[in-house]
Amino acid sequence: MGTAPALIHPMTAEFADYLRDESRTTGTADTISFPRSEADVAGILRSLHPAGMPVTVQGARTGLAAAAVPDGGHVLNLSRMDRVLSLREQDGHFFVTAQPGVVLLNLRKMIASRRFETAGWDEQSLAALEALKDAPEQFFPTDPTETTASIGGMTACNASGARSYLYGPMRRHVTALRGVLADGRVFSLRRGQCFADGLRFRLPLADGSFVEGSLPDYHMPQCKNASGYFIAPGMDLLDLLIGSDGTLAVVTAVELALMPLPNVIWGATCFFPSEQSAAQFTEKVRADMKNIAALEYFDARAMDILREQRAAGGVFARLPDPGGMGAAAIYAELHCASEAEALDGLRTLAALSTAAGGDPGRSWVARTELDRETLTFFRHAVPESVNSLIDKRRQTVPGITKLGSDMSVPDGRLLDVMELYRQTLAEGGFEYATWGHIGDNHLHVNILPRDMAEHARGKELFLRWAREVTAMGGAVSAEHGVGKLKAPFLTVMAGEAAVDGMRRLKRAFDPLWQLGRGNLFSEEDGK
Amino acid sequence: MALLLDTARCVGCGLCVRACAYGALEKTGNGIAIDHEKCVLCASCVQSCPKNALSIERNGSAKADEAAGVWVFAERADALLPVALELTGRARQLADKRGAYVTALLPCGTREDADALIAAGADRIISCPSTYLQTRLDAPYTDWIAGLAKEQKPEILLFGATGFGRSLAPRVAARLGAGLTADCTGLDIDPETGLLLQTRPAFGGNLMATIMSPHHRPQMATVRPGVMPAPVPDASRRGIVEQSPGPDSAGLVELLERQAKKAQSGIAQADIIISAGRGIGPRKNLSLVQQLADRLGAQVGVTRPLVDMGWMGREHQIGQTGTAVAPRLLIAFGVSGAIQHLAGMGGAQTVVAVNTDPDAAIFSAADYRVVADAEEVLQALLQKLG
Amino acid sequence: MNIIVCVKQVPSSNEVRLDPVTNTIVRDGRAAVINPFDSHALEAALCLRERLGGTVSVLSMGIPACSAMLRDCIARGADRAMLMTDRAFAGADTLATSYALSLGAKKLAPFDLILCGRMAVDGDTAQIGPELAERLDIPHVTDVFDIEPGQDCLFVRRETDDGVERLRVPLPALLTVTRELGNPRLPSITGVLHGEQSEVTVLSAQDANADPDQCGLSGSPTQVTRTFVPQGRGQARSIDGTAAEQAAAIADIIGEVL
Repeated sequence: MGTAPALIHPMTAEFADYLRDESRTTGTADTISFPRSEADVAGILRSLHPAGMPVTVQGARTGLAAAAVPDGGHVLNLSRMDRVLSLREQDGHFFVTAQPGVVLLNLRKMIASRRFETAGWDEQSLAALEALKDAPEQFFPTDPTETTASIGGMTACNASGARSYLYGPMRRHVTALRGVLADGRVFSLRRGQCFADGLRFRLPLADGSFVEGSLPDYHMPQCKNASGYFIAPGMDLLDLLIGSDGTLAVVTAVELALMPLPNVIWGATCFFPSEQSAAQFTEKVRADMKNIAALEYFDARAMDILREQRAAGGVFARLPDPGGMGAAAIYAELHCASEAEALDGLRTLAALSTAAGGDPGRSWVARTELDRETLTFFRHAVPESVNSLIDKRRQTVPGITKLGSDMSVPDGRLLDVMELYRQTLAEGGFEYATWGHIGDNHLHVNILPRDMAEHARGKELFLRWAREVTAMGGAVSAEHGVGKLKAPFLTVMAGEAAVDGMRRLKRAFDPLWQLGRGNLFSEEDGK
Repeated sequence: MALLLDTARCVGCGLCVRACAYGALEKTGNGIAIDHEKCVLCASCVQSCPKNALSIERNGSAKADEAAGVWVFAERADALLPVALELTGRARQLADKRGAYVTALLPCGTREDADALIAAGADRIISCPSTYLQTRLDAPYTDWIAGLAKEQKPEILLFGATGFGRSLAPRVAARLGAGLTADCTGLDIDPETGLLLQTRPAFGGNLMATIMSPHHRPQMATVRPGVMPAPVPDASRRGIVEQSPGPDSAGLVELLERQAKKAQSGIAQADIIISAGRGIGPRKNLSLVQQLADRLGAQVGVTRPLVDMGWMGREHQIGQTGTAVAPRLLIAFGVSGAIQHLAGMGGAQTVVAVNTDPDAAIFSAADYRVVADAEEVLQALLQKLG
Repeated sequence: MNIIVCVKQVPSSNEVRLDPVTNTIVRDGRAAVINPFDSHALEAALCLRERLGGTVSVLSMGIPACSAMLRDCIARGADRAMLMTDRAFAGADTLATSYALSLGAKKLAPFDLILCGRMAVDGDTAQIGPELAERLDIPHVTDVFDIEPGQDCLFVRRETDDGVERLRVPLPALLTVTRELGNPRLPSITGVLHGEQSEVTVLSAQDANADPDQCGLSGSPTQVTRTFVPQGRGQARSIDGTAAEQAAAIADIIGEVL
């Protein structure tokens, strides 16, 4: 394509930001492009393919696992592919097709206000928009903490969030996608239309050719998981692309299924005297309640850090004070059809909290927008506070980074994994704070190293956890994706043989190993 | 009294259903049903109906009595406030249409204040040197103004929508049983009936409403400082100065202390304003806005959300609940253009707006439309200006 | 100290736009919420009660559905709630509203203090506080951001256009308050369940011995005669190109204007 070279810019200083992402690691690259359409993407890839140029795909660069940090070669930044292309209505269900650079926050705004940039939409989309205006309010349920994430990035890492406890991760809401292979060939996949035959697969491309190969013989952990390819005999090939971390193809459009917004969304934060008590409450809620959309945990240290930030003033001064409320807290979110049902839900939460040693008189309920924002702010303030605490330490010890875990275990192993964390952290004398998606048995343990020696010991501990969590049948990355930073964990979890199978799978899509170099696993075996 | 639907005119389009914030209207087959229990007579639906099928039935009321004259409260801080002259200038125009006199109420004023008000259009100054009016407190001022109004029955009584004016005017209105319209941005008069047409932003400023007070006198309004142009003084004008007796007491509230804010050259007087809204991105981009302002000797203005988030003090807020501005040049970065904000920047001569959303409302108030990322343009502009 | 907090239910969104086809106004009529400034007043009242003892009553005029908002105030700690609701109150402007609220306040008497938000976000008039104080013949102070109890009085600080005033206010009195007094505390589960079981005292115009001529539309001197979305100025000139080109064009405009 003649225009492709014009879209490719040398990697000059003005683009320095594009060498980094939210993982706070920096890479290198020679060139960068900002395509606006699938044709642009295909053109650029075709022009880079003959030389086997490495290509790192970027969305909004909000990832925590460095998947968007380039490892030489070309940066394909999709942030300007930020249009919603079409809207589809079928039997009262709505489906939005977005370019990969659409930012979640903006998509939410468009859906809530039912206002889209409709230039270029076909008749069917315009009719669907009219239907949407008269339909019950819709929402897109996947809710990563970082709302400036892009739809492409969320697809690449199979993102999830607090509400994935009820609604599942991104995967469950993707109904179709379009993509471009490293050599510029284009394909389109719709759920339910293209399955593997056992472990053999054959993906038809738009030009009539195919990608063919076999899936590794590998069993995924039976819990929340964003570690490596989704593999299952007879699988829908759409699922192979979701969560592939930018290593198989460049996604150029994603169709997302919307859901009717629940009539009543209430949040409640309950406090407990100990983490065991909070874990017991979690297991009871999971067994007894069907209308809980999120179960989020905060440990005592996380709340202490918030109190310190609150006392320091600034924007954090408006946080509610968790002082004296308890040693652990659980935020539960009710999604209900009616207020009566939600009130019943609160009654049940009160009873279960009391049974687990909590006091429903010491709890926070959010029934209004403002109160929900307060509790959301409370939740988001935890990682932010930890980051600023680490930033302060970096002023004296520049090499220090936060060490955050992202592991999950199957139901029934929550108390075991919490005990593992508690015991090994105490043995190591670490300072740490824990929070996260306890409903999915998925906690983020954050070690706050005080010096470089502790930093190194913390990294070793994470590797040990990766082994033990794997032994429990858990996943080494439940939502952030593997990217570059957690590649060693994937090998621990899946084993060398399975990772080799994944390498062969990648080569079937990308024989010259151009896409997402360094993500998931290295090119050569045993490295 | 009730909401009425003319079924012969209604086409069942349902626009009124969307307009109702109280769920009082419902589409039924090919018509509309009104739930009178839910209706609060807010009239939003009346305005939304393209067929004029909706109306609100009212009982007739007594006729306005024999009121005459346009009165202006001439507020003084340490000196006469500019809004007093702005109001007097507008009052002159209204009175001329009606063939009436303009009276300015001047507490504790100087001869120079009186002259300035006369030059701005007043025919008569009622001054009151009472010690109880030395301090701006609601009770003695209410006694003084409401007392005069009861006695002399003005047709119109205007206040500046200053902090004090917004506190005092409703107290006076309640004592007089008069209608009061807050924060008017436009005033006009029907020369025949003397009805004051008071236009103000409504619904958080997203809409303009014209309000009348047909059966009660005086017709009262507060007017935001800076909205009406200051009149060109006419030194040849003549007027009389009267003195009135003062209030009987200082009231119960006692002023203990007054602290002036640090002297700031405010945005109200600024010649150039660089403004920022939510669309500028992260908070750090505000420093780019500040740099640009410093470079151009401009002031920084912001939208209400930025103030609500604590990014800037309220003294920087442009808009209905902030400050009305009238710079020669205003460059808006990432400002979406809520009408309440637009109402505050109506006085700007040249407006350049930068926003990523090609449909942003700010462009309707702009002379130059720049569809672009605010941060990128800021960076480029700073680089260009060196 | 016995405190009355006046609260108003407002639409959660003030978004209004002009339908381009019919040229009529479309309001986004979403869920109703407590006026945010009134919620700061409630928080201020609960803080004062913590220090001084006494009761907090919430008072509103509105449609029957407003009782949900009042029960939420009880969930957060208010002791009792009263709702003035009647067809006769409908269509009230600020003068008629202050009349109805004054009748409610008298029913809730004796009181030492009335707190109101500095304004309602749907009307932005800031008139109810002073008008209600006048009707009850008690002093008022607007835009208060700090309250210190004294002997039979309060020491308050208020924002003015050019600074801050500190005032001594004898009781009973009415204050309108700003957001500096804090967001409303979150209710507990126990509080919410208690609120849902609590009775809201409902007062009709007749219950309040209201004069029909002073209520609702009849008692409202002001009438909205027209609403419209204001016109912008003429079509703006577009500046296209790269950021650098756009910046250069803006620099030229700056040069021309100044």
